[in-house]
Amino acid sequence: MQFRKVDSGSTLCLWALLCAGIAFWVQPAAGQATLVIRGAKVYPISGPPIEHGVLLAVNGKIVAVGEEGKVKIPRGATVEDATGKVVMPGIVDSHSHIGIIANPLAEDSGDANESTGPIEPGLRALDAIDPADPNIRMATAGGITTANIMPGSGNVMGGQTAYVKLRGNTIEQMLIPGSIGGMKMANGENPKHYGAKDKAPMTRMEEAALARGIYEKATQYKAKWEAYNKAVAAGDKTAKQPDRDLDLEPVVEVLEGKRVVHNHTHRADDIMTAIRLSEEFHYRLVVQHGTESCYVADELAKRHIPVSFTMVDSLGGKFETMNLDLGCPGTLEKAGVKVALNTDDPITSSRLIIREAALAVRGGMSEEAALKGLTIYPAEMLDLGDRIGTLEPGKDADFVVLSGPPFSVYTHVLETWIEGQKVFDRSNPQDLRYATGGFAVGDRFPASPRGGN
Amino acid sequence: MRTLRWFTLLICVASATTLPAQNIAVLADHLYTMADGTQGGPGMVLIRDGRIEAVRTGPHQQAPEGYTSLKAAFVTPGLIDADTTAGISGAYNVPADQDQDEATDPNTADVRTLDSFNPSERLLKVLNQYGVTTVQSAPGPRNPIAGRAGIFKTAGTGAGPATVEQLALRQESAMVFNLGDTPKATYGKKEKAPSTRMKTAEIIRHALADAKAYEEKWDKWKKDGTDFSKQPSHDMKLEALVPVVDGKLPAIFNAYRADDIDTAIRIGNEFHLHYVLASVTEGYLIADAIRRAGVPCLAGPVMQRFESLQTANATFENAAILKRAGIPIALMTGYESYVPKNRILLFEAGIAAANGLGMEEALRTVTAGAAKILGIEDRVGSLAPGRDADVALFDGDPLEYTSHVLAVLVSGQVSYQRR
Repeated sequence: MQFRKVDSGSTLCLWALLCAGIAFWVQPAAGQATLVIRGAKVYPISGPPIEHGVLLAVNGKIVAVGEEGKVKIPRGATVEDATGKVVMPGIVDSHSHIGIIANPLAEDSGDANESTGPIEPGLRALDAIDPADPNIRMATAGGITTANIMPGSGNVMGGQTAYVKLRGNTIEQMLIPGSIGGMKMANGENPKHYGAKDKAPMTRMEEAALARGIYEKATQYKAKWEAYNKAVAAGDKTAKQPDRDLDLEPVVEVLEGKRVVHNHTHRADDIMTAIRLSEEFHYRLVVQHGTESCYVADELAKRHIPVSFTMVDSLGGKFETMNLDLGCPGTLEKAGVKVALNTDDPITSSRLIIREAALAVRGGMSEEAALKGLTIYPAEMLDLGDRIGTLEPGKDADFVVLSGPPFSVYTHVLETWIEGQKVFDRSNPQDLRYATGGFAVGDRFPASPRGGN
Repeated sequence: MRTLRWFTLLICVASATTLPAQNIAVLADHLYTMADGTQGGPGMVLIRDGRIEAVRTGPHQQAPEGYTSLKAAFVTPGLIDADTTAGISGAYNVPADQDQDEATDPNTADVRTLDSFNPSERLLKVLNQYGVTTVQSAPGPRNPIAGRAGIFKTAGTGAGPATVEQLALRQESAMVFNLGDTPKATYGKKEKAPSTRMKTAEIIRHALADAKAYEEKWDKWKKDGTDFSKQPSHDMKLEALVPVVDGKLPAIFNAYRADDIDTAIRIGNEFHLHYVLASVTEGYLIADAIRRAGVPCLAGPVMQRFESLQTANATFENAAILKRAGIPIALMTGYESYVPKNRILLFEAGIAAANGLGMEEALRTVTAGAAKILGIEDRVGSLAPGRDADVALFDGDPLEYTSHVLAVLVSGQVSYQRR
C-alpha cells in the first residue's frame, strides 16, 4: 500500500472545511494522528456500500466516512490510497480460543478447560491468555480486530470470557476498557465427559440441575448482600458483612444483566434448555454454535436471542454436529434472528473467518446479513455495538482492507487496523506468513512484538 | 455466469429399484475436460451407458435426439480425493464407526480398507455432494505400517446401497506407512515400540527387509521344494509387503515434518519402492529434495487444525510451491479426529487456487493430476471418450466459496442433485 503525506495544506481546502463547520479536526493538535483511507469501496455496515469512499480517523477514532469529495481531507493527514480495494469494519469473532489454546496445539498449550469442574464461574480467561500466541497474529491476518476469548465447553459453567482487541503485549493492553466480558456455559455432549470419571454430570438432566443450582445459590448470595447493604444504608451498625465469594460474584453479574451468558449449545433441545434456564433466572443469552438453531428459529426470533454460529466444512466428529447445514444461518436470517459467524478457533483457523460467512452465503444467507454477522451483530453480542462493528463517526477506527469482494475465495485481507494502527500488512513478508502459515509462524519466537496501545 | 441456471433434471432416481441406462448430454458454458487442449470454453459431454461417448467443444452445442440434457455454467470431471479415511472413519466419531486405525500392532500390513469400507457411510454422501466421485480410502495415521488402501467411487449406480466391490476401482491400491508424531505417540504412551522416530523407521525397514527375505525363501522353496517339512510358513503381514518390495503395489508414506519426508525418501529409495509422499505439511521446505527423488506428493489439507507440532508449520502455499518445483501433486483430505469429521477436497482446492496455484491448476490436482498419480487415469479424472461418466456441474467457478454444486454424476447416474 502506498503511503503519502499531505505535506502542504491548501487554504482552499481549509476554507471549505471551516465553512462546513467541522474544523475541529482540520488541524490536529500535536501528537494527534490523522489517517485517511481513500478510493476503496467502503462497507460502513451502518449504511449501504460507498463505491469510492473516504474514511477519516483521528487518534484511533472514526471522524467521518463518506463519498470521495464529500469528506474533506485535513492537512497533515496520513493518506492511504486504497483505490480498487474494499474496506469493511474490523471483524469481531464472538467465539474464539486464541491465546488460551495456543499454537501449536500441544499437551501443555491448552488452558481452556479446567476439567476438575464442572461449575467454575470464578475462572477468568484473562488469567490464561498468552498475548504472544501466534494465533493472535494469525487472527489479525484474517481481519479480526476484536475477539471474545472464552474458556472451553468441558464445564457446565466454564468461566469468565474476555473481550479483547488483538493488539498489545499484555492482557491488560488487550482488554477493552470498561468491558468485563461474558460468562461461558455449555450443555449437551461435552460436559458429560465427567461421567467417565464417575463424576457428575453424565446426563443432560444433571447439566441443567447443576446450572440451576449455581444460579439459585447466586440468587441467595445476591439477596444476602442486598439485605446487608440496605441495613448499612439504614444506619444499622450491628449489620455484619457477608463473606465474599469469588465464584458467586460473577454469577451475580450475570443475574444483574452486566454479563451475558455465552452458551455452547448445538442440538435444538439443548438450545431450548439453555433458553429455559435463562428465562427462569432472567439472564441474557447468546446461543453459541447453534448447529440445530434453525430448527427453533422462531423460538429464538420471538425472544430476540442471537446466535453465534460455528460453520465447519462437514458434519460429524460428534453427535451434536451431525445435522450441520450450510443453510442454517440463512434460515435464521429469514426468521429474524441476528446471526454472527465465528471461528471457534482452533476449530477453524481465525484466518478463515470471512470464509465462514461466505459459506453461510453459499447456504442461502444474504451478503448483507453475512457482513453484519462478521461485524455489528457479534459486536452487539459482546455489548460493544456502540464502540465497534460499523464504520461510523465516534467508533473505534478498526477496519480491514480487502483486495476484492469480501466473499470471494480469491480475495485476501491486505491490511488490518485497530484504533488507527496497522496491525497486519500482507505486503510485509513477515506478516504474510501469518496469513498463509508456514515458515515457523507456529513457533512463538519469530513473533515480534506488535506494539501496545 | 451464475445467472445461467440449471435446467430441470429429467432423471428420476428416487423410486427406481434398478436404474435404466441413460443417454445424457451435459452442456457447459465453461467446460473443463482436464484432457488435452484448452480448458474453460463452451462445450458438451455426451454420455452413453455410463461412459463418456464424445466431447464436443465450441459454442452453440445441441443435445442430440434421445439424450437428456443437463446444463450448467461450469462442468468438470468428478473430483478425486487422493487419500482420505472417509468410508472407514465414520461421521459419528464413536468406537462403533471408527475403523481406520488398528492400533494394536505397529505393523498391520495384513489389514485392508476393503474390509472396513462402509458404502452407506454418510460422509461419502457429503463428499459426493461436493463433487468428489472417487476416493482413495486409506487406513489412519497411527501405525507405522497401517495396511492397504483401496480406491472407490463415492456412490453406486443402483438405487439401493452398493457393495464395496461394486464401488471399487482398485480393491488394493497402496500400502500405507506413517512417520512422525502419531505412531510414537500411539505406542509410546502404552510403553510399547515405537516411542521414537528412530524406531518407527526401524520397524518399517525391518518389515521391508523381512518381506524381501520371505519372498526369496518362498521363491527358493517353490523352485526346488519337494520336502514339505521344510515348506516356509505363511505370514500374512510379510506376504502383504511382498508386492510392495517388488514395486508392484505402491507405497504411501504419510510424513509431515521435513525430516520425516526425508526419512520417507530414504526408505523408499533404499528398498526401491514405487512410492508417493502424503500429507507433506512441510514439503515446501524441502521441495528440491522431493523433486530430485522424483516422487509425487499428495498434499494434505491446509485448513486442518494445528493439532500437533508436526503440522504447526502448514502453509496455504504448500501446493503452489511444490507445483512450482516441478513435483506432480494431488490434494488429499486425510484424517480428522474431531469436528469437522472430514475436510472437503473442493474447499481445499479453492484455498490452493487462491494461494498461488490458480484455478485451473488447482482443478487439475483434484482431477487429472490425481488420477495420473494414482494410476487410474484410464478410468477417471478427465472428460474424454471411454472414461467413466463421472461429472460435476456447478453454477459458477467451482472453487468459489459461494458457488454451488448443481449435480454430480457417477458412471452416468445422478448421485446428487441440488434442490
